[in-house]
Amino acid sequence: MALLKNEFLEILTNYQGILYKVSLVYFKSKTDREDNFQEIVYQLWKSYPGLKNKSSIGSWIYKVSINTSISRIKKQRRIEYKENIPELPDNSDIIEEISKNESLQLLINAIYNLDEIDKSIMLMYLEEKNYNEIAEIIGISKSNVGVRINRAKKILKQNFEHLNHGK
Amino acid sequence: MENKELQKIWKNLDVKTNQKSKDELNLLLISKTRQTINKFTIVIVTSIIVSVGLMIWLIITSVNRQDDLIYLINNLTLGILTAISFISGLFSWYKLQNYKYSQPLSNWLETRIKLLTKWLTGRFSKSYIYLIPFLYLLTVLSIHVYFENKSFIEVLNTEESIIGLIVGIPIGLFVSYYVVLKIRKYQLHNLEFLKNLQGRLYKLDE
Repeated sequence: MALLKNEFLEILTNYQGILYKVSLVYFKSKTDREDNFQEIVYQLWKSYPGLKNKSSIGSWIYKVSINTSISRIKKQRRIEYKENIPELPDNSDIIEEISKNESLQLLINAIYNLDEIDKSIMLMYLEEKNYNEIAEIIGISKSNVGVRINRAKKILKQNFEHLNHGK
Repeated sequence: MENKELQKIWKNLDVKTNQKSKDELNLLLISKTRQTINKFTIVIVTSIIVSVGLMIWLIITSVNRQDDLIYLINNLTLGILTAISFISGLFSWYKLQNYKYSQPLSNWLETRIKLLTKWLTGRFSKSYIYLIPFLYLLTVLSIHVYFENKSFIEVLNTEESIIGLIVGIPIGLFVSYYVVLKIRKYQLHNLEFLKNLQGRLYKLDE
């Protein structure tokens, strides 16, 4: 058990960036992001013994992180389909430096305008995952991924440019 | 704006995330596990105390009222229904806590929707409508008849008892229905959200 846990923590240490980023695109406040991060760690630990293919650890982490985040949005009743540009997130935790990078800040705000599914797909696109990986993680066809990425990219660029001109 | 420009901007995030150490992650995992176990323990222990308490009550009162057949039938029915509710409640809680997060989003949504649909619209989903008043009435009668020191039939023939039951039962029923309907409304809302999400996910595949 101790060996298994050690192995798990080793993996978690190397892949924790995914947890931060998924929490970042789904939750605006620091507390929500931290709670979500903790919940993902717990859900990963719960499903770790059942992980058969150790070569696809990244995909496994994405799956658990996305499903956990969507489940928490649902629980917290923060399902909002915003039409207006949201306010900037608080920037006192992992993204404290983001406020110094205007482009990054605008991009994150533009991502908040996407729906729950497109948020995940765009995150993986920005992380340079290929269409096959994204299709496997989300469980939709490759062509669906392509269409969604193109559509989300357009929205993202529009939002980004809108925010950029309005600043 | 170039296609790769968004990805370039996003890369700035890589250098800006504060990484947690292995020890910090371990502490975080331990604290979350404890928190979850505590929550689980509270639910289980409360259910056990209530169910076992009721069972003990039913056994003691039945032993003391062996000559009152209707009272014994009342207690036996209540005991069986409590045991069934307790076991199915524990089973549902276990299922809810152990559905897999490590599957693709589409499969995860499907599993979750199936589970919630079964609970909320399945064959036994409306059983609470008659189960709540029935269990409540049996419990009230079990307690009331016992402390009246009369037989079951005698109590039901007493005017004060009937008035007491008529006044008391609706209040208890109102509270019970209110709580159950609140939970159902919340879960129906969740189901709607998940179905909406699933619909949007498959829209382009059709």
